[in-house]
Amino acid sequence: MRMSPEAAGRTAHARSGVRRTGSRTAEAGLRWLLVLWRDLCLAAGMAGRGKLIAVIGDEDTVTGFLLGGIGELNKNRHPNFLVVEKDTTINEIEDTFRQFLHRDDIGIILINQYIAEMVRHALDAHQHSIPAVLEIPSKEHPYDAAKDSILRRARGMFTAEDLR
Amino acid sequence: MAAPDLRAELDSLLLQLLGDLEELEGKRAVLNTRVEEGWLSLAKARYAMGAKSVGPLQYASHMEPQVCLHTSEAQEGLQKFKVVRAGVHTPEEVGPGEAALRRRKGPAKTPEPQSSEAPQDPLNWFGILVPHSLRQAQASFRDGLQLAADIASLQNRIDWGRNQIRGLQKKLKQLEPGAA
Repeated sequence: MRMSPEAAGRTAHARSGVRRTGSRTAEAGLRWLLVLWRDLCLAAGMAGRGKLIAVIGDEDTVTGFLLGGIGELNKNRHPNFLVVEKDTTINEIEDTFRQFLHRDDIGIILINQYIAEMVRHALDAHQHSIPAVLEIPSKEHPYDAAKDSILRRARGMFTAEDLR
Repeated sequence: MAAPDLRAELDSLLLQLLGDLEELEGKRAVLNTRVEEGWLSLAKARYAMGAKSVGPLQYASHMEPQVCLHTSEAQEGLQKFKVVRAGVHTPEEVGPGEAALRRRKGPAKTPEPQSSEAPQDPLNWFGILVPHSLRQAQASFRDGLQLAADIASLQNRIDWGRNQIRGLQKKLKQLEPGAA
């Protein structure tokens, strides 16, 4: 059936519209694929590199563990350590601790036990296996197993009813 | 699952938990000892180099971690940690053909591929010639890091065991409400 010139023109325009819409959809799909590929590469890179060990402690504890080689500090990322001094507020400690908890590139957080006491509520609320939180002694405050969150949870497992 | 099987599994989990707790206590004691040795060595280094020579003022403005953690999942929900050291330098091996005579004029003109990926040793922050006590401190804290990874794995295992025991106890109570 022969088409009128106007109909042919409308059909051609409609087809080009479909092509434009189709190409826009393909473009969006390709962009999404590229973003996904970039994220996968980043994740693989991070997985290949391994996780970090963070430390929150007094000057000697942080200096010692940084000597051990755990420190990371560059322009783009926040440091994975915090030196707690006399004028460091509890809010700063808690904010830093929560930041470390939310970072997915930190596997272990080392924290002096006397500092952990200041943010005990945040430690007790952390139930995930990663990052693991390890309480370590400080020079003025030796390690007390009774205060450790993990050991308190293990000790509180058994009630009188469970042992009956 | 029948009640006797549940009880048997509960017993084995409890025994494993108690074993893990004992191992944790032992490793903690060793970690605390290593950290205390590290502090003592740092104090000696500070005595040798000056009070303000070993501290946050010497930290580099750019740090790359020498030590990373690799995590693996042994069972469902059970994470295990392993410390991996980056940029470990292997000593140069001299083959049988080169053992006879080696040039001492200096480095070869052909540039060898630089291990630019190897991060800088943090000892270099404190100067070129550092006292032996600072190296001892570094060794103590490095040992401490290995122990920290083992302790973190044990803590995860204890938490996992605790959850498994609680689950089994609930199932047992449902099967034997009278006995519970």
